[in-house]
Amino acid sequence: MYKILEKKEIAMRNIWYKVHAPHIAKKVKPGQFVIVRAFENGERIPLTPVMWDKEEGWIGLVVFTRGKTTLRINTELKEGDSFLNIAGPLGNPAPMEKFGKILAIGLYTGVVEVFPIAKAWQELGNEVHTLHVTFEPMVILKDELEKAVFKHTVETVSIDPNKSFPENMKNVTARAKEKVREMIENLKPDLVFMVGPVGDQKAIFEVVKEYNIPMEVDLHPIMVDGTGMCGACRVHINGEVKFACVDGPSFDAYTVNWDELIARSGYYRDLEMKAMQLYMEKLQAQGGAQ
Amino acid sequence: MMVKRKIIKERIPTPERPVEERLKGFMEVNLGYTFELAVQEAQRCLQCPYEYAPCIKGCPVHIDIPGFIAKLVEYKDEPDRAVKEALRVIWACNTLPATTGRVCPQEDQCEMNCVMGKVGDKVNIGKLERFVADYAREKGIDDELLGEMLPEIEKKEQRVAVIGAGPAGLTCAAELAKDGYHVTVFEALHKPGGVLVYGIPEFRLPNEVVEKELEKLKRLGVEIKVDHIVGKTVTIEELLNRYDAVFIGSGAGTPRLINAPGVNLNGIYTANEFLTRINLMNAYRFPEYDTPIKVGEKVIVIGAGNTAMDAARTARRLGAEVTIAYRRGEEDVTAREEEVEHAKEEGVKFEFFLNPIEFIGDESGRVKAVKFMKMRALEEKDAKGKRKIEPTGETVILEADTVVIAIGKTANRLIVNTPGLEVEGGVIKVDENLMTSIPGVFAGGDAIRGEATVILAMGDGRKAAKAIHEYLQKKAKESA
Repeated sequence: MYKILEKKEIAMRNIWYKVHAPHIAKKVKPGQFVIVRAFENGERIPLTPVMWDKEEGWIGLVVFTRGKTTLRINTELKEGDSFLNIAGPLGNPAPMEKFGKILAIGLYTGVVEVFPIAKAWQELGNEVHTLHVTFEPMVILKDELEKAVFKHTVETVSIDPNKSFPENMKNVTARAKEKVREMIENLKPDLVFMVGPVGDQKAIFEVVKEYNIPMEVDLHPIMVDGTGMCGACRVHINGEVKFACVDGPSFDAYTVNWDELIARSGYYRDLEMKAMQLYMEKLQAQGGAQ
Repeated sequence: MMVKRKIIKERIPTPERPVEERLKGFMEVNLGYTFELAVQEAQRCLQCPYEYAPCIKGCPVHIDIPGFIAKLVEYKDEPDRAVKEALRVIWACNTLPATTGRVCPQEDQCEMNCVMGKVGDKVNIGKLERFVADYAREKGIDDELLGEMLPEIEKKEQRVAVIGAGPAGLTCAAELAKDGYHVTVFEALHKPGGVLVYGIPEFRLPNEVVEKELEKLKRLGVEIKVDHIVGKTVTIEELLNRYDAVFIGSGAGTPRLINAPGVNLNGIYTANEFLTRINLMNAYRFPEYDTPIKVGEKVIVIGAGNTAMDAARTARRLGAEVTIAYRRGEEDVTAREEEVEHAKEEGVKFEFFLNPIEFIGDESGRVKAVKFMKMRALEEKDAKGKRKIEPTGETVILEADTVVIAIGKTANRLIVNTPGLEVEGGVIKVDENLMTSIPGVFAGGDAIRGEATVILAMGDGRKAAKAIHEYLQKKAKESA
């Protein structure tokens, strides 16, 4: 049981948790993730510690409401409650090298994963430029990134209430593509790194590829155990099957079989929708979400 | 004058749930003996002397089988006492009898050489062991016995770390705790039990049985730390600084995949993922449980071991039409006979001499068929004594919307990558005392064998516990 020391809404649908987890705080390195199970009948989901304190024994997680489990966490868990299980740290740490000039891109809550890596790269002597593209009310970690890296840029897209969420998301993708192109032209980075939805990763990669700049991506396939024992998170990398949880999550964007990964990531969409739907109905019956 | 014993040739059968009822859920298929039936079966045992009894030799943890069976007969008028005395005998060698009584391949072990087999059916040792454990658990007799045993344990100062809460680790932990050591088990998943909770389905081994059995370990003083991935959360080197010895029982958890085009199509699961979703995460009860699973109408399971049978029977319970495709012939099947029989009763179809060469998908990236090469058997045998096979050149396509790959597993990669730990053929190298290349670090179970059985892992756990005990006694003497 891992006690929630602090819980607060830091932006729309983005909830910050400071959680007591000394076994992870002691060991976690930028690029690594954890697997969280919040409820007795719950599923295991991967999340990324955004910051941590070894001495005090806590990790910080940002949970973006995107489906049943995340909504349920954000609705039901209060400060003082506990996560049932947090396993980790998992995956390989991001490579800590002097690459030179780095453009690190985070879409939506993906910036949570970018933060610790970008910060460490900057501390190592790289010139790190971070770019956060998201909806206006979802900007997070702005002050923290401004302090941590050479230059932090926030690009926001407003939400058109007359359009569906997926339609709105297309605007984020388009803006991110434009902005990345512009920044690549200006900065001529030695490395591009990106975290975000897999479709957007592919779209941004297509842009970066035109400039032939090395690009690393943190992949987010479906995971169950996160320790290499099931292969749910398998991806083809250079034609070889790799398990993202033990071989990744970071991979060379030029080696990823993107279409396969996109198809795999959407496999449970109908059941995810169903679970969310039923939960929303339950919440409504109880008098609505808080 | 010697009393002449009447030989009962035929085994007393154990009742089973009818097929139609079984397919409706995940309830245990075999219902086990009642006390009366158990006593009748116990009376069939010829009571071979301890030094000679071939059944004891066949048991990897050497339970005094005639010894515990005799207690059932001796106290047949006092069921509680009979079970308590029988359990006392079993516990001396095996702390997880409810589990082993259910999942051991007795026909290849204790029952293989049973003398009764020469005149009739072999004694049903597994079901008797299971009966003792189940009856004791239901009546709280196991708690009573544990209460009597606990004060007799002489606590020692030394501490042992056990990696992995599967059959090997749990057995090692229990034995060391009985010797008085402080034992801490490190488990990566959120529940202890290893393959007993994520792999073997409830219809063969109910999770509740495992949970109750594990509570006994906690009462013995064994501490279990879940969510701890050795190699990530803590390293073996760090454990060696905090503990006097380490046992690695991390199993063979990495699934083997088929190197064929389309293997990452949607709908293709490894057996580990499929069974973990069902058993550990209760995905068959989605949306009451949050973990989803998708099983279509036509499922192909590739492989013919126990894992393949478990996956196939699980898929049947989710309403699918299931075919097991195996690259060898019927006589080469490695699963237990009982499991194959159950699978057949439940309507699982078998196709032999088919080796997958391609997975065919639809435009959405979901599997829709599997292309197989037809194989044929040769006279020549391979290193494992199985007939060699070769492709015929002829192919066949079978439709499937779900495929489960159950062709085996290799050792856990996170452990195998420990610096200084010698590994051979993907498994950890050990000496005759199960000590690894790192002094003070022992290993057993699938981590040293590759994929084997629950009871062999338990045998290793027990053997390693003895070796650790000797190692620690020597170490204590040297430092004194």
